[in-house]
Amino acid sequence: MPIHEKSLIRPENLTTHEELVLDGVDVSGHWSTFIETRVVKDYNESLEEEIAALPGGEQIHRCWQCGSCTNSCTVNAINPDFNPRYWIYLIRMGMESELLRDKDIIWQCVSCNKCTYACPRDVFPEGVMKATSHWLEKKGHTPKSPSMHFDEVFTEQIVATGKIEESRTIRRFFARTKQKLAQPWMIEMVKRMLRGLPVGLLTRMGLATLVAPRTSGWGSASAAIQEYIDEQHEKQAEALNLAQLVETAKQDVAA
Amino acid sequence: MSLPDKVSLTMTTKDKYKKVAYYPGCALEGSGHSYNRSTKAVGKALGLDLVEVKNWNCCGAMEVKNIDPKIQTYLSSRVMSTTVNEMDMDVVMAPCNGCYHNLKKAEYDLANDDESVAVVDRLSKKAGHKTYESGQVETIHALDWIKDAIGEDGLKSRVKNSLSGMKIANYYGCMYTRPRHIFPEKDQGPGSESTSKPHFMDDLLAAAGAENVDFPLKTACCGGAHTLSDSDTSTKLVLNILKTAKMCGAEVIATECPTCHSGLEMHQIRAEKTLGEKVDIKILYFTQLLGMALGLKPRKVGVHENINDSIGFLKEKGLG
Repeated sequence: MPIHEKSLIRPENLTTHEELVLDGVDVSGHWSTFIETRVVKDYNESLEEEIAALPGGEQIHRCWQCGSCTNSCTVNAINPDFNPRYWIYLIRMGMESELLRDKDIIWQCVSCNKCTYACPRDVFPEGVMKATSHWLEKKGHTPKSPSMHFDEVFTEQIVATGKIEESRTIRRFFARTKQKLAQPWMIEMVKRMLRGLPVGLLTRMGLATLVAPRTSGWGSASAAIQEYIDEQHEKQAEALNLAQLVETAKQDVAA
Repeated sequence: MSLPDKVSLTMTTKDKYKKVAYYPGCALEGSGHSYNRSTKAVGKALGLDLVEVKNWNCCGAMEVKNIDPKIQTYLSSRVMSTTVNEMDMDVVMAPCNGCYHNLKKAEYDLANDDESVAVVDRLSKKAGHKTYESGQVETIHALDWIKDAIGEDGLKSRVKNSLSGMKIANYYGCMYTRPRHIFPEKDQGPGSESTSKPHFMDDLLAAAGAENVDFPLKTACCGGAHTLSDSDTSTKLVLNILKTAKMCGAEVIATECPTCHSGLEMHQIRAEKTLGEKVDIKILYFTQLLGMALGLKPRKVGVHENINDSIGFLKEKGLG
């Protein structure tokens, strides 16, 4: 069955009649299950363009649906619903509502790049997954994923200091995602880390926590990077027509 | 790409890698400190010079790339710009797979994408340093460094404590080989590294006397990108790697990336605590194993800084 017809045989699209007579012929039994007639009219014709306007999604138009990405996918092996090939198909066809059914798992791409390695068309499916999860968040279909929170905490620190101090990043990430830091496995890990009395390492980490490591003279680089990021965000908001989305939402609320 | 100058034409790779710029990166200053320690110790024991990149910054890692790939390209290019313009060196060695990958990716982008060149030029000018141009610096991994500068034969003649009788699964991870296009020197026939079946780590550890097991998950993913943001997925992926290595007969998993290494260590514990699955296998950086084979004490190569406890095991093998 072609990948795009899969959705037709979902339980909600099927009707089974106990007894059915069509044109005078009794078709009860094996022949009584029918796919509901439906008309798809909620195409988002600019969906492909919108994804292509976000970093990583630029090459989506090159896909010819060979399925090498899904076939090689790390996450697909543990969750068969994680299907990059299918999502790329839906995006190119503009089938937004069908794509939204999987909105909560798309961010789970682990960026192992097996798909990009396997892709014969240089679609960079890994980038398309990132672009799609950004699109879902920017359009307000999903809240920020834990992964996005992590990326933001990490990037903020680099823009500010030029370097990463791990414990600070981890603490901020746990705080921002409202998770408890003292989880049993985390405590066990720290215990085992202390076992070998790594004095040098602990001193180093302790100092790094007190005085965050930074690249000296980073100020001008920091400002240049932040300016560029802001510029890009503005461009993306324009490509995704976010201003209008906000306007419509305001009108809805007012009405 | 600029033509190689006369000096590098007459220099063999062996000479060229004897003294390289060293880019440890953020992880090696923290959780991957034992990798930093062991890389330096091995370099010293082999008579190779590492000159740390001056005032380096983060390569951008996966996280900045996710926010904006061109910022990651800029961050990596700044490291290479410092190497060539402020240190006058043309080889930079990064032991961390993430840093190595990102520098390679920046090199590729700057050689092939005009927009990346323009963004890097703009940011470099605003930041007040020279713009890096593709072809000025060669980025290598710690594996390339030892393999080319010393080689298997050179290593064999320096081994003091053979790793004989130690069964090792070599784990390379994702970033060292994928995607293929950023590693033009790989897959170039005999002697070069393979992106589908990498073997440089196998070669070096075999030269140190170890017995490498046939391990099918050499380049599998440990879920390092989501080690904290989607821990259940990472635990599943790591558990699969640990169990497979064990089934292949390995006693040790040798690693070459701080994210993989700490991911394996963390999720080995997490699998034990949340899924009740305990897999007893040792996890060591390949530089730690090489260092001990060269006669260094476990503490010298930071074995006590690993979370996974292998001290008793190493004593049993006569390396403690």
